[in-house]
Amino acid sequence: MSAARGSAPPRITDLIDEAAVQGIADETWLTLLGTEEVLVPAPDENPEDAVSAWVEVTGPWSGAVVLTCGRTTAEELSRTLLRGPVGGAVAPEDVTDALGELANVVGGNIKALLPAPSILGLPGVGGRPPGASSADICSVALLWRGQPVIVSVRSAGGCVDMPERPERDGVQ
Amino acid sequence: MRALLVDDSRTMRRIVAAMLDGLGHAVTEAGHGEEALQVLRGGFVPDLVCIDWNMPGMDGLELVTTIRANPAWNGMTLMMMTSQVEQDQVIRALTAGAQEYLMKPFNGEALRAKLAQLGLLPEEVAR
Repeated sequence: MSAARGSAPPRITDLIDEAAVQGIADETWLTLLGTEEVLVPAPDENPEDAVSAWVEVTGPWSGAVVLTCGRTTAEELSRTLLRGPVGGAVAPEDVTDALGELANVVGGNIKALLPAPSILGLPGVGGRPPGASSADICSVALLWRGQPVIVSVRSAGGCVDMPERPERDGVQ
Repeated sequence: MRALLVDDSRTMRRIVAAMLDGLGHAVTEAGHGEEALQVLRGGFVPDLVCIDWNMPGMDGLELVTTIRANPAWNGMTLMMMTSQVEQDQVIRALTAGAQEYLMKPFNGEALRAKLAQLGLLPEEVAR
């Protein structure tokens, strides 16, 4: 589905719903972290000391797929992914990498539900993800081991904080 | 069996390397496409090259194309491992010369099944 010249880009809420987002998050968690690592719906609760990982999608719809959790949760996610000992230390760069890879996997699968062709960016990790001020968001608030994890898909339209992507030969 | 694992994510390299090790493969890792090419040009000849698509610099598709352009590397099996799951992406990878495509997220059983299809499970593992 391509936006005609001059027409507004599609709204994310017209393209996907919370059930689809949660389904992808569920599969990612169960496959990569373990079959007992379930995500359960939760009241919308912003994690304390939040950190986010994201991948940008650029195409007929442009925006970002963002995972947000507390820093302690991020460390625990990384430890679990890497099959480290309970309570063991995880290097900050490993936390960044692990969280980014979760965003990459979730984002890549969500991208498949969006209008093609589009480009998937490399993961970013930090305190302020792109689309933070977007009004067009599909967001799912979840709990993993009792800790909040938010998966959101945020449109770039109208936001000034989405950088231009250089065009590669065709699109990915 | 020897495998070259190419992924810019250290996390995924550790996870997949552990899977491959359990499936009887001695694993060499590369963090990006250029590093993978350096390993291959250094004389390392793996049975299997597992390639992530989304990497900085040379991406996985470019790496597949580059490997397939070298006749000396024709004997290697190339498997794309990626979160890019659309059918068009699969077609592009296979057209470029990958023999298999494994969509993230995947677990050890899915990888085992792919390697079995490719005939890349050592006998003691395949039994």
